[in-house]
Amino acid sequence: MKLKELPDQGPYTSGATSCAGCMASNIALNIMRILGKKTIVSVPPSCLSVFGGTFPNLNWDVPYFHLQFGNLASTLAGISRALKVQGKDDIIVLGMGGDGATADIGLQDLSGCAHRDENIFYVCYNNQGYENTGIQASGATPYGSWTTTTPVNTVFRGNPYFPKDVPRILLAHEATYVATASTGYIQDFIRKVEKAKNMRGFRYLEVLSVCNPGWRVPSHIGPELAKEAVDTGFWLLIEAEKSKVKINKEPTFKGLEEFLKKQGRFEHISNVQIKVMEEYIQHKWKIYQSLERVSYEG
Amino acid sequence: MIPKERYKDMMTANRAVAIAAVRSKPEVVAAYPIAPQTEIVEYLADYISHGDFLAEYVNVESEHSAMTICVAAEGTGVRTFTATASQGLAYMHEVVSACGGMRLPVCMFVANRTLMSPGGIWPEYSDTMPERDASWLQVYVEDNQEVFDMIIQAYKIAEDPRVLLPIMVAGDGYTLTHSSMAVEILGEDEIDEFLPPYKPEHAFLDIDQPLAQGIIVPPEYHMEAKYQMQEAMKNAKKVIKEVNDDFAQKFGRSYGGLIDTYRMEGAETALVVMGATTGTARVVVDELREKGEKVGMVKLRFFRPFPDKEIKEALKNVKAVGVFDRSISYGSTGQCFIETRNALYNSNIPMLNFISGLGGRDIRVVDIKFMFEKIKDMVTNGEPEDNLIFVNTRGING
Repeated sequence: MKLKELPDQGPYTSGATSCAGCMASNIALNIMRILGKKTIVSVPPSCLSVFGGTFPNLNWDVPYFHLQFGNLASTLAGISRALKVQGKDDIIVLGMGGDGATADIGLQDLSGCAHRDENIFYVCYNNQGYENTGIQASGATPYGSWTTTTPVNTVFRGNPYFPKDVPRILLAHEATYVATASTGYIQDFIRKVEKAKNMRGFRYLEVLSVCNPGWRVPSHIGPELAKEAVDTGFWLLIEAEKSKVKINKEPTFKGLEEFLKKQGRFEHISNVQIKVMEEYIQHKWKIYQSLERVSYEG
Repeated sequence: MIPKERYKDMMTANRAVAIAAVRSKPEVVAAYPIAPQTEIVEYLADYISHGDFLAEYVNVESEHSAMTICVAAEGTGVRTFTATASQGLAYMHEVVSACGGMRLPVCMFVANRTLMSPGGIWPEYSDTMPERDASWLQVYVEDNQEVFDMIIQAYKIAEDPRVLLPIMVAGDGYTLTHSSMAVEILGEDEIDEFLPPYKPEHAFLDIDQPLAQGIIVPPEYHMEAKYQMQEAMKNAKKVIKEVNDDFAQKFGRSYGGLIDTYRMEGAETALVVMGATTGTARVVVDELREKGEKVGMVKLRFFRPFPDKEIKEALKNVKAVGVFDRSISYGSTGQCFIETRNALYNSNIPMLNFISGLGGRDIRVVDIKFMFEKIKDMVTNGEPEDNLIFVNTRGING
């Protein structure tokens, strides 16, 4: 479906108290425009659970389940198994977790659910940090990024670690569907959500989610950064069915430095750090290229 | 295959629990192994694979996920079951604590086992006791028949619209889980009649009637929800008695409800005891009664809701009381003692707390006799300043 063809209103309603320019809100809105009302959603503790679901206000016009930080995937699995018993397994069981809930504290049960091919649709809105608690580094925070727990001063120069590549972890589970997306490439995003909607089994979609206060960027810049992230190779667009990998967009690898310098979290970044990041991006690109090559050989 | 009709067989508590679970017809079962309950999840897999019952059997990767599966499935409107012990219960604590506020009547069996450290796999109540504030009903059973009967009753109590809180059935690891006794298994039809299918009307996920469960509730609305949980616990006392009486009428076995008493007629001293040790205490009470000593026993069954009025009533005529605890709240006393003392406040009955059987230390007939001797001392000497005694402990009371 084209963006224009999607209904203006989905069962994620207006009136959230998210920050201006929040992409998590935008992702939730667009996913629900595609999935529609035959959906049950669970959101773990995160920005989205606070601004989208604090009693008596709720942005979800579908059944909503809020449990803990480290068990989104198994929460979805519990709902999905119960629906199966009830003969209602055509209902989409959607999870919307942040990168902390996904790459860190919930990684164990995400792995369990991928392994058991639970009939769930897990969306990670990856804003690359614990933004809800006030910008701390997560396992998905990029190398070199400033956060409150990876400060920039004489001793520390931002995050010393590289982000976990959760899609690649899930590829190692032979998961039914694993994809990344960016709302900067909205048609690719829509296609992937629709694809996941029409599949059964374990589906994982990781969407880049610009966080204006966390990334220290102005509120209008999200869509621009979401596109540039893909073009520079900072965020790869891939998808995989049962570990058969497809690259959806080849980056130009141009403009990384300018892309980073637009973001306050990388304001301090040195040439040496940029070079390290370029090498990391190239390395990851080669890995995905080789995975794609192997996937479709003979 | 499990016979459909009523039958009697020798079995461990683990097998009795598994068969009771089958008979209760949960629709989602979460399974994760941990001693001493592991056999239960093995039995359940076996029963499902033989077609004894239909259920979604989820081989989760941790206890944390096991309880999550139960909470989420129960929230979607189906009956669930899981079992755990010790570290497993501690690991699932945050999900356990979420269950009550969502008003989901999950039923779980806990094979009581010590919580490290020191490490160990043997019985102690240090796993379930920390969950006493987690808004679950807790019942401790004496033997394998009681555990079978209580799993069936547990669902009926928890699912009652006046209660709607989760329930934990606790039984001593190994002492019960790995020891066999003759257990009467009730027939499928008669249990179906006693325990109809779970049909929630208060909370379940339904796309035609969207609602939010577990949502963040700010201070303006929070206290009312918590107050209702306390009211539900109060209601549970009544429901527990009703269900006990209903069960007794249909199947001929009564456990007294919240507490049970043994030979309390004219008793001057009494021991408050719980779990499998109750069996040993019965033997000692009989023996002492034969010698003419006026002793009795109160079997504490439900720890939550705590039967304060029932205990006070049962002990109103005694001259001294001992309280058995198979766990301790370090820096204070055993948890049963704290509660019993509270129940007997203002009654001026001297009391002693016996910490016994920690980490699986055998609780022998001589140990129970020792307890009764100490209780008897208080009749003439009153309550000692140090009212907590470690029983059968090297260098203390060895």
